[in-house]
Amino acid sequence: MSSTSQKHKDFVAEPMGEKPVMALAGIGEVLGKRLEEKGFDKAYVVLGQFLVLKKDEELFRDWLKDTCGANAKQQGDCYGCLKEWCDAFL
Amino acid sequence: MPFVEDPAHLSIARLKSDLLAHNVALPPAASKKEVYVELHLKNIDQKNAAEFSSDDEEETREAARESSGFEHSRDKDPEVTQMPDPSDLTDEYLREALLKHGVKAGPIVASTRTLYENKLRKLLLHSNGDDELYSDSEEEQEKRDDIESACSVLEEQKPEEAKKIKGENDKADLHFHRRDYSYQQCFLLSSRLRAHPSRNEKPSSKSLSKNVTKSSERSKSKSSHILAGVSKASSTGQHSGLRSGVPPASKTVVSNDSSSFSSQTFSITQMVQEMESRGSLSDCTVKELNSSRVGEHCSRSYRLPQESGKPILKDLFPDTKPTTTGIYVTPRRPIKGAAQRPVQYSYSYPDTLVSPVTLERREVERRLVSIHIQILFFFFVACILFYIYVNVQDSTVLALLDSFSHCFDKEGWAFLQPGTEGTQAVCKQD
Repeated sequence: MSSTSQKHKDFVAEPMGEKPVMALAGIGEVLGKRLEEKGFDKAYVVLGQFLVLKKDEELFRDWLKDTCGANAKQQGDCYGCLKEWCDAFL
Repeated sequence: MPFVEDPAHLSIARLKSDLLAHNVALPPAASKKEVYVELHLKNIDQKNAAEFSSDDEEETREAARESSGFEHSRDKDPEVTQMPDPSDLTDEYLREALLKHGVKAGPIVASTRTLYENKLRKLLLHSNGDDELYSDSEEEQEKRDDIESACSVLEEQKPEEAKKIKGENDKADLHFHRRDYSYQQCFLLSSRLRAHPSRNEKPSSKSLSKNVTKSSERSKSKSSHILAGVSKASSTGQHSGLRSGVPPASKTVVSNDSSSFSSQTFSITQMVQEMESRGSLSDCTVKELNSSRVGEHCSRSYRLPQESGKPILKDLFPDTKPTTTGIYVTPRRPIKGAAQRPVQYSYSYPDTLVSPVTLERREVERRLVSIHIQILFFFFVACILFYIYVNVQDSTVLALLDSFSHCFDKEGWAFLQPGTEGTQAVCKQD
């Protein structure tokens, strides 16, 4: 099992509700601000984008890179976080 | 996002939304589609006036669209000769294009559109590029991978040398471009080994020289493996007449050597053929093998015949002195196998060294005595009952029973005996 960060575990442990976008794994302050500027101010909005892309990893990673400039690790962390959340709650 | 499209193929709702997006006044609600199309053409398509001006172009475009399903527009990219630019396509056409390439696209909305366009571009580039550059690009890529994997091991030890080797290998690649992949491993290893001994000549510092010697040792051990395979291949593959003398050596070599270079033998045969083409060495080597003491040396690692005619061997072993018989022996690390592994028992023996079967037997034996007593008692009681059953038919049964009860009362149970005469005798005493 690959190691997951505490942030990942905290996010996946419960429904996201109104959590801010910075609660996502891989999304820190800088990336979170960029996403908020683009209109993705809550985690569920990013979830919406994730679902619209049909949970496709490649597309979601490309979208993250284009939108907030996330690097490969951040992309992977965010994708994994959302995917696991969806597996648990969706 | 402005994209070129034929308004006639759009729905009225779509035309309305486009007009609204471009801040164009909508015609009355009951107006026909043609009105919308005209407005669309006027306002939105003015940006691309050069294309949509004439009706003829539209007709040809319509005909082309019916067949291919795409608009005929200007070619932005010279590579995309058949397909138009993905940004020019409508959502539906974009989805169709992606589906043709095997990609099931999700909803194409504002946020996803660019992503799908990029994906289509990548697919188009791949589909165009693969047709032309397929084999070469793959070969190049695989060679690069091989070189990188070979050099990554070196880089752990000496980054400088690894880079130099990489440079050498890049040059070598040009020479080996035409040949099969099978050459890859052996030539890389040989070139790497070649590079290592060459470092022996220029030790810049003590540490470097130490590293070099270590690497040279490793390389020598590896080269011994390779050249063992070389000589084995040469002996088995080249001279059928001399096979009688050679097979024992080769067989023992096979048994001793690890299977690591079994994958390299197929390439080593090619190397051997090359070596033959350069100089006639194989005759001499096989003769030497025959004349040498085959039995003694077979147990050790395989010898390395060297001659002046073989430049590869010279490069690999510049320091070794030539022996009279041309045989070189390198010690081999012992094989770690089951033979050396001590036998470990998962459980410890009990003190009495008794198996569970014997324990059971012992328990049974304990009961055997009691079982005997039980059987005897059972038979005793059975006999009594049998006698009683037999005697029921006689008239004296009642008398016997009375006597029995009488005897029980007086004499006790111990005097009771199976024989009727005994009881009668006992009872008569009363």
